[in-house]
Amino acid sequence: MSYDIKRSVSLYSYQDEYYNGQLDLEGCLRETAKSGATGVELLAEQMIKRFPNPIYTEEFVEKWNSWLKKYNLTPTCYDAFLENHIYDNRTLSLGEQINMMKRDINLASILGFTNLRTLVSTPMDVIEGSLEYAEEKNVRIGLEVHSPFSLNSGWAEGYMKMIEKTGTKFFGFIPDMGIFCKRVPDVVTERARRNGASEECIKIVDDAFAKRVSDGFVKIKYDLDLGKANMEYRVANKMPELMDAITKAGGKEADFGYANQSFTYTWCDPQDIIDNIDYIYHTHAKFYNVDENYNETSVAIKEVVEAYKKAGYKGYLSSEYEGGEALRDALTVDSIEQVRRHQEALRRAIED
Amino acid sequence: MAGRQIYNPNGFKNEEKDGKIIGFSFEFKLQYYRGITPSIIRDFKINVDGIDYEREKILFSVNGETFTMEEIRTLVDSDYRWEFGEFAKITVLNDAGLSKGKHHIKAIQIYAPSYMPFIQEVPCETDFEIN
Repeated sequence: MSYDIKRSVSLYSYQDEYYNGQLDLEGCLRETAKSGATGVELLAEQMIKRFPNPIYTEEFVEKWNSWLKKYNLTPTCYDAFLENHIYDNRTLSLGEQINMMKRDINLASILGFTNLRTLVSTPMDVIEGSLEYAEEKNVRIGLEVHSPFSLNSGWAEGYMKMIEKTGTKFFGFIPDMGIFCKRVPDVVTERARRNGASEECIKIVDDAFAKRVSDGFVKIKYDLDLGKANMEYRVANKMPELMDAITKAGGKEADFGYANQSFTYTWCDPQDIIDNIDYIYHTHAKFYNVDENYNETSVAIKEVVEAYKKAGYKGYLSSEYEGGEALRDALTVDSIEQVRRHQEALRRAIED
Repeated sequence: MAGRQIYNPNGFKNEEKDGKIIGFSFEFKLQYYRGITPSIIRDFKINVDGIDYEREKILFSVNGETFTMEEIRTLVDSDYRWEFGEFAKITVLNDAGLSKGKHHIKAIQIYAPSYMPFIQEVPCETDFEIN
């Protein structure tokens, strides 16, 4: 099947440089363009101060559009945060949540985005209640499939039923490539070492991860209580057994921390992409560390991009660098170089 | 999300009112990756030199205005977001301030992004000096 796979960068990738004041929003766009990407993904709540007010002003929108033109970038995806527990004493009502979703759809549309990322915690009826408005604004709502969630799972099935029931073309999935990790990212292992994890415990954790990869992960179920869904998922994937093994090996805080952390990465069969391609409008190309030879140390980029090609994907792969998280306590984060390498790794996987 | 340098090294000082020391203050950034409405902050646990300070003694200032911890529970105005990468000022009312010289702070930022399965509790500590 013919495919048309383009490359984008999520500005999430540059968070360390932004946080430290080395890059501002325009600087992030400039770096995105320099990386070779033609698309840009934005977290408005991260880089637009006094959110959402400026987006309603002509002044800001003109500036935004002039930057896109200057750096030759297409807006690919707007990352929304449905803050439905904005108050500590209640969850927003269904109507309030739909209004918040509509607000974000409108903001995305003002900035020229045609995709909106919503988070795994978004209740199904909030999405359903926003579909008409999404169509009116020509913004597709994409539910992020972020590890430990996965496609072809009890969790995704519920949303698929909603798609079938409504026949909508304005809701689908945004896979995050953290669901295609073959190993715990090496930068995460290195941090565990820095924190004092023992080689014996690291091996126990890595072996258990490898076993989950070869046996297949038990998938997560649908439950609006995400804490409960997460704990059940961890138990089903033998976290208690792993913790016992760490205890027996005399594990300390850093060892347990590493064991815990290992459950935030997942390996799914890339066939999941092919099976669900009709509902995949955008993709977070999550990554943790790309070495100087353009190899990602955890995410199986080539294998996954192959699946996108085979499926005939027409959309963006948007680099989302998260490795800084494992470095910044002790080392310098260079997101700009990491994104450059990752874009090249994606380019090779797409074009070769 | 941990591991960021959150404290402003030049932000530690004693606070005076009408010529009298009422407490001390410092500035830190949020240990997170986006700006938030302060309403999702659940608490700050602040310990300086081994002494814990009660929630009622803590004030939160952002964009030039000051709020109690009780007040920020409903603080959702766009002008008073805690922006990503920006300092908020924390004032601790302890009557005496802190003595000149070296001190150690351990603060835990407790906040609850709606999508996260667990409330975030992020401890951050540093040495500092009062001049």
